[in-house]
Amino acid sequence: MIGDVRVVADAAGGCHLFSGCGFPAPGLQNFNFKPLFSVGSFHFTKPMLIAVLCTVIVIAFFWAAFRKPKLVPRGIQNLGELGILAVRDQILRPSLGRKGDVYLPFLVSLFFYIFLMNLMELIPVFQFPAMSRIGFVVPLAIMVYGLYLYLGFKNQGAWGYISNMWPRGVPWPVYIILIPVELLRFFIIQPFTLGIRLFANMFAGHLLLVIFTVATWYLASFTIGLLFAVGSAAMVLFVFVLELLIDLLQAFIFTTLTATYIASALEAQH
Amino acid sequence: MSGNGRGAVTRRVREPNEAEMRALGLSTGWTVFSYMISGLVAYGAIGWGIGKAIHAEWPFPVGMMLGLGISVGFVIYRYGRMGALEQGRDGRGRVKGMTDDR
Repeated sequence: MIGDVRVVADAAGGCHLFSGCGFPAPGLQNFNFKPLFSVGSFHFTKPMLIAVLCTVIVIAFFWAAFRKPKLVPRGIQNLGELGILAVRDQILRPSLGRKGDVYLPFLVSLFFYIFLMNLMELIPVFQFPAMSRIGFVVPLAIMVYGLYLYLGFKNQGAWGYISNMWPRGVPWPVYIILIPVELLRFFIIQPFTLGIRLFANMFAGHLLLVIFTVATWYLASFTIGLLFAVGSAAMVLFVFVLELLIDLLQAFIFTTLTATYIASALEAQH
Repeated sequence: MSGNGRGAVTRRVREPNEAEMRALGLSTGWTVFSYMISGLVAYGAIGWGIGKAIHAEWPFPVGMMLGLGISVGFVIYRYGRMGALEQGRDGRGRVKGMTDDR
């Protein structure tokens, strides 16, 4: 009987339930790609292609939308204005107010770049969120935190910024206890959590999608496994929709935290 | 008209809207999370260093627990006692870092 099942499973092609090859469990190998091409020791991979493509798409989209802006927006300008107003009203203004409008281009670029990089996991052919590679997240976190420190020192002065860093209204012995905590939080943990949250969410989301997709394929056979394959396929659809939401949410959280960091760096001015 | 008879300055004070509350909540949440991790790591590292110096293992977990305790205590002091939202407001009741000209 089992022999018959194995014959059918093998006939279906690939690695399936009862075919004797075991579940091809997804793992870190799903995040490593062979180079598309190499120049010396430099290897150009799929995540790099996605990053370059996302940059070009964001630039091209906003260039096309506002190349010849009309007083009454039409077509792509409508879409561009919708995106900019969403970032301005939901992310920038709540943290920075009208005075923060000067940072709108930066926050709009950041939001749409991250969103598109995340969204690539759901787009056929690409099917990989570039932000699930920490090498793309760390430079963004360093850039944002560098801006935060620069604006803080520029607007509040070195001493003002350092003194504002410490919590007010705390008895002096508590300050001594808090020194290691505050230093670590300010210079290491805060930028680390800013980046790691985006990376971890995209990494876990992609892994979840791959697990259910591979499981659907693995379970799809003329056995009882077919029933589970249907369940797994339903989970693929569910995770797909969930990831769409998470892609947007993670871009939103990263940009909102960037806006609040900028606001706290400018605080002394307000 | 504000209806409370406190004049023009009072009229400029307003409650934060939903988006402002969301930004403030997000910022506060991640600051609290950062404090928790920082206390654990900072005093854990100090404990580890002491442990290395005196050739003992116990200072490392004790340091981590102490750091976590300090972080929890400070978070309760700063955000619990005073209230997470109030922590983000200035003396006039406005959301800290925000002006009325939006």
